Amino acid sequence: MPSVESTAGLRGATVILDDRAVLRDVDIDVAPGITVLRGPNGAGKTTALRALAGLVPLAAGTREVPFDVLYLGHRAQLLHGLTARENLRFFIEFRGPTSRARLAPAAPGRHGEREARLAGALERWGLRADADRPVERLSAGQRRRAALARLDTETCALALLDEPFAELDAEAAALLRSSLLDATALGTAILIASHGHAELDDLAVRAYALRDGRMVPEPSAD
Amino acid sequence: MGPSVDLSGLRRAWLVAGREARADTRHPDGIVAAITFMAVLILLESIVVGPQIARDTAVAPALYWIALLFAAIVTTTRSFDRELEDDALDGVIALPGGRDALYAGKLVALGGTLGLVALVGGLLEIVFLDLGIALPGHLVVATIVGVAALPPIVVLDVALTVRLRARAALVPVLALPVLMPQLVAATNAAGAALAGDAMGASAWSALLFAIALVYAVLGLTIVPTAIE
Repeated sequence: MPSVESTAGLRGATVILDDRAVLRDVDIDVAPGITVLRGPNGAGKTTALRALAGLVPLAAGTREVPFDVLYLGHRAQLLHGLTARENLRFFIEFRGPTSRARLAPAAPGRHGEREARLAGALERWGLRADADRPVERLSAGQRRRAALARLDTETCALALLDEPFAELDAEAAALLRSSLLDATALGTAILIASHGHAELDDLAVRAYALRDGRMVPEPSAD
Repeated sequence: MGPSVDLSGLRRAWLVAGREARADTRHPDGIVAAITFMAVLILLESIVVGPQIARDTAVAPALYWIALLFAAIVTTTRSFDRELEDDALDGVIALPGGRDALYAGKLVALGGTLGLVALVGGLLEIVFLDLGIALPGHLVVATIVGVAALPPIVVLDVALTVRLRARAALVPVLALPVLMPQLVAATNAAGAALAGDAMGASAWSALLFAIALVYAVLGLTIVPTAIE
């Protein structure tokens, strides 16, 4: 099982997809703060995140995760036909009252608080003008921003982010750094899969590396 | 940051159903496709067997339920295709309680959509074939429970095959044998209502209700561990 201070982890995790072992005997601990999972393309980073999120079954090993997990994959995970605001509202409502305001001052009542939080996140991520357009009419970058705005609208014990800096311009990358720091200040454990973005070097408190589905030595940032 | 146990599974399912209904309202192409598909199928079947045979109280309901079954597959497949467009499916099933809510929410949403398709398709068939209905109340009840009995299996099969390339071929192959009892019960219930057999319509409707209940519980048990 993961070490005492960790929020989540994999122990001896092996994942087999299409008769191929894409993760082999992987151990990862995710503690409050930011943990980075590095590796080249095809190393198994995405599979490791999906294994933690419960999106792929383990052929061997164990997974320990908290109840409330936020998983943001390569794509925005927004339902076409709904607006960015409606998509974000759905996720907030689904999680219930554990999602709490971080950006906007609370308005009276739960509904008011939720809408204020939504409006604040959409404003912060530069989506105010396009918040009520169906997401399929937004650019890829705007959809990415809307997806990342979930970091500001939902509170969770564990956040799993797959290459979150991909497709972001400098302004959005700065916003993401800020949101990550806000989330860690609330005690969220964050695991970020990355093939080596410099943005993470000064944020990470712990790092792991994967190659060909196996753990390889990676110096800790501690 | 404790677990969000305050939001019931029912409410989560309702949220998923609402999300689906909102997307359908904005892009009703799936519903329109299902209604068109059903109308064309009923018309073709009627032409193939001939109007006299098609009007028979044993045949007309069979034409209707076969068409509605395929419309259910079209609608459900379309619904999951939308979930895959931007990996929205992952966003839901990674949420706490997401798998259960996804299945239950799709049941509710597709039940509503199929209800609309069944209503329009039924009216079209009554007009096309100039059907006389001896027991309209029984027919309505049979149709409601018949519609309710379809989504548990169709959603289950589409959910289980959602990431498979051969899904289009697999769903009917998997669903149709399992749905055969529903098809028989629904056809007989509606046929009895058309012919004026109140006891027969009630008995077949009760059987349909039991089938719907069993498959819904079965689906809720299987899907959370099966969706990937």
